[in-house]
Amino acid sequence: MSSRDLVLMTAPLREDFTIPCHEIGPMAPPVVSFVSGLHGDEINGIYILARLADFLKSVESGAYPKLRLVQRVLIIPAVNVLGANTLRRAWPFDQSDQNRMFPGNQMGETTQRIAYTVLEATKKSTYRVDLHSSNLYFEELPQVRIYDPTPEEQENARLFGLSAIMERSVSPVFTTTLMYSWKYWPGQNFLLQVGQAGSIQLPHCQQVFRGLVSFLGRIGVLEGVEVAEADQEALYFTRECSVRIYADRAGMFVSDKNLGGWVTKGQELGYIYDSFNGNVRTKVVAPAAGLLTGIRRQPMLFEGDLLVRICTKGG
Amino acid sequence: MPESSLSISTSCILSLEMPYSEQLCIRRTVYRGGDGPRAAIVAGIHGDELEGLYVCQLLADWLEQLGRDNPAGLAGTVELYPAMNPLGLDTLTRAIPVFDTDLNRNFPGGSSGDLPKRIAHAAMENLAGAALVIDIHASNIYLREIPQVRINTDFADSLVPMAQRLNLDLIWLHGAMTVLEATIAHSLNSIGTPCLVVEMGVGMRITPDYCRQLMSGILTLWKDLGVLAPDVELPPLNHLPLIADDSNVHYLNAPTSGLFVPVIEHWADVRKGQLLGNIVSPLQGGVLAEVRSPVDGILFTLREYPLVYEGSLMARVMARKGRLS
Ligand SMILES: [Zn+2]
Ligand SMILES: [Zn+2]
Repeated sequence: MSSRDLVLMTAPLREDFTIPCHEIGPMAPPVVSFVSGLHGDEINGIYILARLADFLKSVESGAYPKLRLVQRVLIIPAVNVLGANTLRRAWPFDQSDQNRMFPGNQMGETTQRIAYTVLEATKKSTYRVDLHSSNLYFEELPQVRIYDPTPEEQENARLFGLSAIMERSVSPVFTTTLMYSWKYWPGQNFLLQVGQAGSIQLPHCQQVFRGLVSFLGRIGVLEGVEVAEADQEALYFTRECSVRIYADRAGMFVSDKNLGGWVTKGQELGYIYDSFNGNVRTKVVAPAAGLLTGIRRQPMLFEGDLLVRICTKGG
Repeated sequence: MPESSLSISTSCILSLEMPYSEQLCIRRTVYRGGDGPRAAIVAGIHGDELEGLYVCQLLADWLEQLGRDNPAGLAGTVELYPAMNPLGLDTLTRAIPVFDTDLNRNFPGGSSGDLPKRIAHAAMENLAGAALVIDIHASNIYLREIPQVRINTDFADSLVPMAQRLNLDLIWLHGAMTVLEATIAHSLNSIGTPCLVVEMGVGMRITPDYCRQLMSGILTLWKDLGVLAPDVELPPLNHLPLIADDSNVHYLNAPTSGLFVPVIEHWADVRKGQLLGNIVSPLQGGVLAEVRSPVDGILFTLREYPLVYEGSLMARVMARKGRLS
């Protein structure tokens, strides 16, 4: 069996619900665990992991003669199953955030029980990867986030071959996240932030899919992967080299910029319009040169909303 | 003899442009009497909680009456903030719409930044230094609560004596480990402005009896603090709080999914093993699970919203521990 149900729970008015997962590779505890869809509207991660499961199953069945899966991989494409089916970020039934329920409790609330099971299934893997997608408003350049990283995590974050690695400190505000709970266990933890919630941005997904395959190749779980040298360049950004632009006025933010490009200081990035009379209120310009790593896609602005994030070089 | 007067004014503590044409304003009404201490009531932090709005209305009426009958009775200042999350109230959303964030996890906030941070900051700026702030919540739409004060044990010494005068039925002490640091109460108490959190009733509803009960307690406390003059006549106190903490509160989580139908009134004495309700199946009929009290005690939380999933909280029972002397 390569698929099983992590959680089996009764539902009041329909069939019982489950959180299914894939276990692919030789029979052994999984060396790598991939988790996505803790937030039900973050579809990029669900798509990427579902495709990864399909790919690894093909590898296992011999469809790629050069590739061999030598260690077991656990994949949970969507933890918030009900949210994924109803396009809700939170757990639909009580609006709780599934990623604020860790480490969970076997006898507690529904989402605490789910959290407990997900943590139990993944905590002993050597490598643990959690995929997210910002929210409905903001698009993120595919990036690896590492939290108060160990030297191994700093080194191995490059193995995904993504163009940006962001170092963050573990905030005490987020003690109830999966990432925080993982940090208690031996092993390495990575959070991939991919695009924007609510839809699929295919180029981002393709890039991250290739990144996951490269990662599995480089850590020796998937043998036979050829890695292009150009893939290995990654820019390493500490918290300090992140420059954020906030809206100085309310209105409508419109930009024609794509993520992943380099901008120069003073370059025009978009406009804030008065959304009633159409006047330009603010021309938004880059305050520094750097890589465009995040941009607001939902145009309706309150004063103070985050518009753009630029990562400066050499941080 | 100085001329006594009571002035009433309403103003915005934060005014902010919205994306399309409108202006957002967080309103408060100030009742200014003498030079005595200042007290404030905060409500509507969660957009689906209305009990505190009604308490504000009752207090506003009472203060207006006081202004007519005995204007010198207001020895200090009273501020009412009935709607800290006006967009949530507009849209029947617990969180702040668009930002999808719980306002009560954004304190102390900041003067720049996004809307939730600005509201939190404006609230802190205006409330700091008050003799007492009472933040009124209404549980949520799922659970009905008896009128209670929740206090973090870090601040118990100064807050419990005040909470005992609030005419409520329960004081629930929470351990320091379960503190939600980003709440308005924690932020105010941390800077030395006492803040009591009241939870009562249920979301999206008002329970007029609870609101009147709390109003008597608030007026009593205001008189204790000198916000009201000693000669002001108040409705009597008729409730004494029980004490709950981690040692005597028992949680009843649903063992299976279904429709929870209580067979007992909220806020009743129960015996160990007594039937509190059943989880029944709308699909096949019949009882899926019986819900029984784990201890002799008092049922102080009861599920109001009947659908339950495995794990959903249905009730809390408190073993009796006596009253504070
Ligand atoms: Zn997420
Ligand atoms: Zn509340």
